[in-house]
Amino acid sequence: MNRLVGTACKLALFIGAGCVPLAQNAYYTTFAFTILIAFVLAQSWDWVAGEMGYVNLGHYAFYGIGAYAFAIALVGKYPSGVAMLFALLCTALAAALLAFPLFRLKGDYFAFGTLALLPLAEVLALNLVPITNGSDGIVLPPENVLTRAYFIALGVCVAAVIVSAWLAHTRFGYALKSIRNDEEVAEVMGIRIFPAKVAVIMLAAAFAGLAGSIQAWQMSFIDPGTVFGLNVALVPVAMALLGGSGLLWGPLIGVLLLATMQQWLLVNIKGYQATIYGAVILLIGRFMPGGLLRAGWVRERSWLRGLTQEHHERITGMADAQVARASPAAEADALPLAKRKVDRTRVLLECRDLTMAFGGNVAVDRANLRIMEGEIVGLVGTNGSGKTTLFNCISKVHEPRSGGIFIGGVELAGLRRDQVAHLGVGRTYQIPRPLGDLTVQENIAVPLMFGAGRLKPGEALREAREFVAFVGLAARLTDRADALSLQEKKALEFARALACKPRLLLVDEVASGLTPAEIRRFVGHIRHVRDSYGITVIWVEHIFSALSQVVDRVVVLEQGVVIADGPLSEVVADERVLRTYLGGAAKVAHG
Amino acid sequence: MEALVQVLIGGILLGGLYALVAFGLSLIYGVVRILNFAHGTLLAVGGVAASLLYASYKLHPVALIAILVPALFIFGYLFYVLLLQPLERRSHFESTAGTVLVTVGALLMLSDLTAKLAGATQRNIPLRFEAIEIGEIVISTTQIGILAAIAALTFAMQVFLRKTWFGRAIRAVTQDPVGARICGVDSSRMKAMTFAFGSSIVAVAAVLYTMSFPVDPYMGFSLTVKAFTIIILGGIGNLAGALLAGIFLGVAEGLTGFYWKSEWAPALSVILLLAILVVFPKGLGRTR
Repeated sequence: MNRLVGTACKLALFIGAGCVPLAQNAYYTTFAFTILIAFVLAQSWDWVAGEMGYVNLGHYAFYGIGAYAFAIALVGKYPSGVAMLFALLCTALAAALLAFPLFRLKGDYFAFGTLALLPLAEVLALNLVPITNGSDGIVLPPENVLTRAYFIALGVCVAAVIVSAWLAHTRFGYALKSIRNDEEVAEVMGIRIFPAKVAVIMLAAAFAGLAGSIQAWQMSFIDPGTVFGLNVALVPVAMALLGGSGLLWGPLIGVLLLATMQQWLLVNIKGYQATIYGAVILLIGRFMPGGLLRAGWVRERSWLRGLTQEHHERITGMADAQVARASPAAEADALPLAKRKVDRTRVLLECRDLTMAFGGNVAVDRANLRIMEGEIVGLVGTNGSGKTTLFNCISKVHEPRSGGIFIGGVELAGLRRDQVAHLGVGRTYQIPRPLGDLTVQENIAVPLMFGAGRLKPGEALREAREFVAFVGLAARLTDRADALSLQEKKALEFARALACKPRLLLVDEVASGLTPAEIRRFVGHIRHVRDSYGITVIWVEHIFSALSQVVDRVVVLEQGVVIADGPLSEVVADERVLRTYLGGAAKVAHG
Repeated sequence: MEALVQVLIGGILLGGLYALVAFGLSLIYGVVRILNFAHGTLLAVGGVAASLLYASYKLHPVALIAILVPALFIFGYLFYVLLLQPLERRSHFESTAGTVLVTVGALLMLSDLTAKLAGATQRNIPLRFEAIEIGEIVISTTQIGILAAIAALTFAMQVFLRKTWFGRAIRAVTQDPVGARICGVDSSRMKAMTFAFGSSIVAVAAVLYTMSFPVDPYMGFSLTVKAFTIIILGGIGNLAGALLAGIFLGVAEGLTGFYWKSEWAPALSVILLLAILVVFPKGLGRTR
């Protein structure tokens, strides 16, 4: 029902927008045209910001580049269609080139670096006189193109809406959402993040460039101030944030409100426009950075549900629909994993003289380690002995200083984190790092989408249910991951690592803080994934009683050095191990 | 050759002033973790105000500084407490977006209001000065005074950061906010005070700047970009690094104008910034 109303609204909007030029009133058509252009800019900005979490304040520079490219091509006597295509290509190319320096920045720094693009572009436009005609600007051949430009802009708007809807539930969209939440985790789950970042900024830039070229066509004059000026450049950003960044309807609502207000100011207030405009931006930032659609009094209105739904609520609605269709709850023991044949004589993981140091602090010191296929190995040691650092080296979170790591004979040197994940390494984090604003189900679905199986999002979400049930989180399936308790987050970490469909599972203190009964259950899980699916496990844990139930042997690290390696019963009797755990007194007691 | 030396002196002067602006931004960023996009605009507004005060009452630059420093201190304090601090309670994305919008909105408001009230023309403080000639090189007493003031201020700041309680608290919060809090530094009060203090340094820079270069209401953001480039070059909280980086930038801009075209000088800092990011992704001089 809700969806029907939504579709009807969209159709009505579209038809209404299509009818505007029929009134033959140039004033209204121009106004509606500005709204369309602003919408394209705000919406494309939000793909980078709302979806991926990068606040690109220089988005308007792409609009300007598009406007200039179009104007130059049109003055060069190319047909307008060709000129638009040229503008689109120029902006996408500029975005691809700028992506290399800019994506080295994060957070505020990214916002700043991108904002600095505007003055740079303005200086370039002012000074590259042979190309841009400097401060005089470019005058386009005079012709009345308003109606044509209007319909092209409407077409681009529709394309932008389609892209947004497409991003909400495709693999690419999930890559962006994972980046927004935690880039390192995204990589460890097998996502190649840099190409995704470049792709989304190129996409956004191409739309901004198109908007610029259409508007240049309609205005028939551009100069550096109008297309790169700081006082216009942040309008789309303010619009998207006013409506609600990251919400499907946010940019549209923001554009309608702010554009109407701007028009009103333009007509009714003389002077002080920039001051009022600055004040509006300031007030939006101060009181509504989450957007109008997230304000409490708007969210309470049930008839606005269709507009205010967050991504995770929307996806939950879809997931619920799937429950009815999917088979009844699968057996909690069965996981959709391949039953791997295990050859106990083959080495799965080998570390040769592995050394990792942070400055002068050597965390792992010439460690040698061999793990056979199908083994369950406990990795123990006191705090700071290098256990987690070893895991971080294997999953490429850290680049080891020297030595080699081999997985199934493949050397990891030179591989990226996502490539290591594809080699079959799944890991948990000691301090859980869920993708906070996605649901539990989506958290599991992401590695299923980007792992070896490369499932479609729908299939991945369906399959994720079985992993969720396996770790006992079925009741939390559609909750946001950041709403879970610590223990639930640890269970989620474990399920997510399994969803990477690993050959080698690195488990980092998942059992700490659990009750004895829960620990027993967890030990059962570890044994089950080895026995049934041939997954090799390295388990970092301080609870020896838990380890003793399941491990084939333990490896003891101390100050980054492997000091003991063997069955648990032998290792606990080893003098060096006793000394590190119990100090010098142990020697006396022992001997 | 003499012309070149003249350009170098001008560059050092300009760079030293950039560095003063960067000090404030760097302190604020270190403690509050907010990039204040309106930081450079404070210099533009302060400079316009200083030149108006000078034109009306013929006040001595020291008197101008004495008026503007407390004014900008109070402005910075209120700006932070009223507009920025409440955003800290929000989610990460919202507080990032919110602070960006608030500071950018303030930037637009401040420059436009100043232009409306005082006119958008370029202004300065036309002090009477004597020219000192060393061989072919001419240097004015004003320039010498400004250079001395920059040096003295850098030194005073250094002493302030190392020897006083407040300065040490600033450094502590910059390095580890939680640790500082555990040791009894009231970080929310520190943030407001640092924001105010960083803004008041700009007041000094504004008067000195207006004594030797023209200011206009809209020049602020390009100064912020320069200050930011300097911070990246010199390292957050590193005054000596910032001074060197500022002088480097000022001289580079001067040389660009001397050997090529002065129109390109404004692009230099942005290009430099992007180039640094490509070559040294983790920033230069990560000293704390």
